[in-house]
Amino acid sequence: MSVKIIRPTAAFADLLPAEYLELAANGPYASPKTINDLGNFKEIIEEHPHCAGCGVALGVRLTAASLPAPADTLIVGTAGCSFFGLAQAALNYSCSAFGNQNAVASGLKRMLKIRYPDTHKDVVVLVGDGGIADIGLDLTLHSWFRREKIATIMVDNEVYGNTGGQESGMTQEGQVLNMAPKGKNFAKIPVFELAQVSGCVYCARVTVASPKKIGQVVRKAILLAREVGPTYVQIYTPCPTNFKFPPQQTINIAKKAEEGHYSFREFISDEAQAYWEKNFSSSA
Amino acid sequence: MIEQKVVAPEYLFNEAEREEQFITGSEAVREAIRRANVDMAISYPITPQSESMHLVGDIYAEGYIKEYFRGENEFAVMSSVAGAAMGGVRVFTATGGPGTLRAFEAFPTWAGARLPVVCAFMTRGINSPLSIQPDTLEMAYMLDTGIIMLHAENSQDLYDMILQAFMIAEKPEVHIPVGVFVDGFFVTHTRDRVKIAPPDIKLPPYNPYSAPVPVMDMENPPIRQMRDPFVMKSNFISYAAHASWQQEILAAAERSRRHIAHYLGSLLEAENENAQVMIVASGTAVSQSREAIESARQEGLDVGLVKLKSLRPFPTEELKAVTANAKAVIVPEFNRVGWLAREVRAALEAKVKVVGGPRVFGGMTMPPDLILDEIRRCANE
Amino acid sequence: MSITPYRVLVGPEGYLPPAAASRGVLLPEKGEALIEGAIVPEEEAMQAIATKLLSAKNPFFFPGPQLLWDWKEGVAQKAQAVKRLADLAGARVIPMPDYRPKYPMINPAVEINPNHPNLTIWHNKIDLCVFIGVHCHYANMALKIIRGGTSCYTVALCGEAGHEDAMISLCCMGMPELAKLTEIIRTMKGEQAA
Repeated sequence: MSVKIIRPTAAFADLLPAEYLELAANGPYASPKTINDLGNFKEIIEEHPHCAGCGVALGVRLTAASLPAPADTLIVGTAGCSFFGLAQAALNYSCSAFGNQNAVASGLKRMLKIRYPDTHKDVVVLVGDGGIADIGLDLTLHSWFRREKIATIMVDNEVYGNTGGQESGMTQEGQVLNMAPKGKNFAKIPVFELAQVSGCVYCARVTVASPKKIGQVVRKAILLAREVGPTYVQIYTPCPTNFKFPPQQTINIAKKAEEGHYSFREFISDEAQAYWEKNFSSSA
Repeated sequence: MIEQKVVAPEYLFNEAEREEQFITGSEAVREAIRRANVDMAISYPITPQSESMHLVGDIYAEGYIKEYFRGENEFAVMSSVAGAAMGGVRVFTATGGPGTLRAFEAFPTWAGARLPVVCAFMTRGINSPLSIQPDTLEMAYMLDTGIIMLHAENSQDLYDMILQAFMIAEKPEVHIPVGVFVDGFFVTHTRDRVKIAPPDIKLPPYNPYSAPVPVMDMENPPIRQMRDPFVMKSNFISYAAHASWQQEILAAAERSRRHIAHYLGSLLEAENENAQVMIVASGTAVSQSREAIESARQEGLDVGLVKLKSLRPFPTEELKAVTANAKAVIVPEFNRVGWLAREVRAALEAKVKVVGGPRVFGGMTMPPDLILDEIRRCANE
Repeated sequence: MSITPYRVLVGPEGYLPPAAASRGVLLPEKGEALIEGAIVPEEEAMQAIATKLLSAKNPFFFPGPQLLWDWKEGVAQKAQAVKRLADLAGARVIPMPDYRPKYPMINPAVEINPNHPNLTIWHNKIDLCVFIGVHCHYANMALKIIRGGTSCYTVALCGEAGHEDAMISLCCMGMPELAKLTEIIRTMKGEQAA
């Protein structure tokens, strides 16, 4: 555990900004917290510049609150809306080039395993739909083929939000967006199915309307990635800015999607299931 | 695997008794990496680089390297290398030609994130038309990526420079990537006598906690950490921070001069520097120039040679000094664009006539006679 | 390289000041230091730091993450020593807890950030600052911005190779060097009082 890096030195402790003192005293590092504890601990996501009602911001916040071991978690991201909250997060974060997150995470994970053979360093990829399904798809799939022990989490707002609302591969068919002036003419890329056949031992599909489910599946994905193999979680994170709905409607839209194209789905391989039952079933 | 002892870099480079071996450039890479105490190497095939990374794979299998795998393409490999370097370890990879361009976005990203990656570039032609043959064109693109660029003339240079590159790259005040460039085929696929240190010694390990940026391992502060330049916001504060960040990358390369001079002896080597005609070259163009100069001297022509070993940082002051008496400078190159002539012209500020050429490309060799013709023309003007 | 050596002087130098390293300023070797771009013996630079600190109107120390967090052996003691040094010199302390460009904004009364150090310097009317425990990349980034936009005199106490972009920079700073600097300040203060 690396709680020491958030332990203030006595000489300067009284000078630290309030948010840091709170993080040191009541952060999720010494004793991990869950979604159920939200409101009762200092979260690792601080203030951020996301739009009002941003589904991605909520998805990132809920994911961050679900990490089983934030003190030893490293998040690899990429350009896009997911970046904004994460750049302010109280853990190590990196994003280098657009779409290369799973390759960066592969190198990082393997090296941390060598540097810290007795500690689980959870390397988590947390990026948007464009980063995973479009520009980074080959790197994502190859990390799964290679069975890299990383958890990949997509915050899927079905659009390139940060660049101004362009169609992505995860946009629903028929949707009119920038660069799809006549509507998107092919279906959402089946990343969930691709994950299943590409080596992921656990996949889940959820929306921000079900925080507790997010808490469960993110935790499960990260714990299984430690020992069994790559895992994938896809979270629907609706975008009020580009789909032009009122910000207070985000959760309702996600909830409605759960009855339609974003119903809850879960896949677990036999190996992962056996591992889970043996090690975690009582706490799941 | 032979049990290895960590020694001071200066001992490995200068003092340890060397054994002469008759090996290829690719094998010279293997022998350098065997002694480099590398934690991880990642490979992807491209001619003429592939063999060097096969051989690096072989010494991984022997136990000299802790981790090694084949990535899915050069962009992915360079990204994985970045991830490993952010995690605080010493990494090595190699590519060339179209692979360099496929990975291109990664290089300024490495420099910007202060990653001390060492990458060998076995240069070759770039499409189109498709060519696997020797050509240094890719170096033109690499000049402004922020990485340090060393250019090996032969396998001996390649062996030495790769080892030295790690020490230069990892200096806390430098801590940017070093590319060791070598002309594909001419060096990688030919045998040459290379003097190498004993196999039972290796470089000291990398110390990530002296780095100018925090390590991405959740073991060093600050806990809130981004290892790369941040997203620009549209305000002056962001612009100023971004500009200062970029200046710092340039400054890091400037600081490497002292270390390049320490480990390589100098950024350039000059012979007969008072001559009226000077040849300025890098890579195997230096070897071809040596032959041309030999012939020219037999004709009684006064010619000198400058071998540029470091292209970034560029030895501007040194070059000015060693060409101070020259009335003409000839820059032979293995590419069509003449990037080195451009560099030399900019450095010499029009104070001396710079002849851009001869240039060969497409895989052609450079007959010393072409250079000799140029020497004769310049000497007789 | 410029014909006249570049001098690292108090600002505001204006729009986009250069990195001193790119203008030919070299880093010191162990036992040496930098004053305004020139290499001097370490002792001389320590004397200069003491003089500057004791004559400053509103000096501040900016300890960085490597001193604010008790992350490895020896840090707590070093932090104590730095705090004592600041107290002795009559300097106040504002921490630099991390390096992220902070959104939406920082409180310049309680912290400093390397991406916009000028805000904290302006807000607190700081005329001299001392960087210590800041990772070198971020220190250099901040030092240039300070030189560009403020009239604050900058001092860097660096455990590694030093900082050309500070007006005075020590290198290889360990506990013995810290003790020596403290002693020099103590002596100078005593002389001034006498």
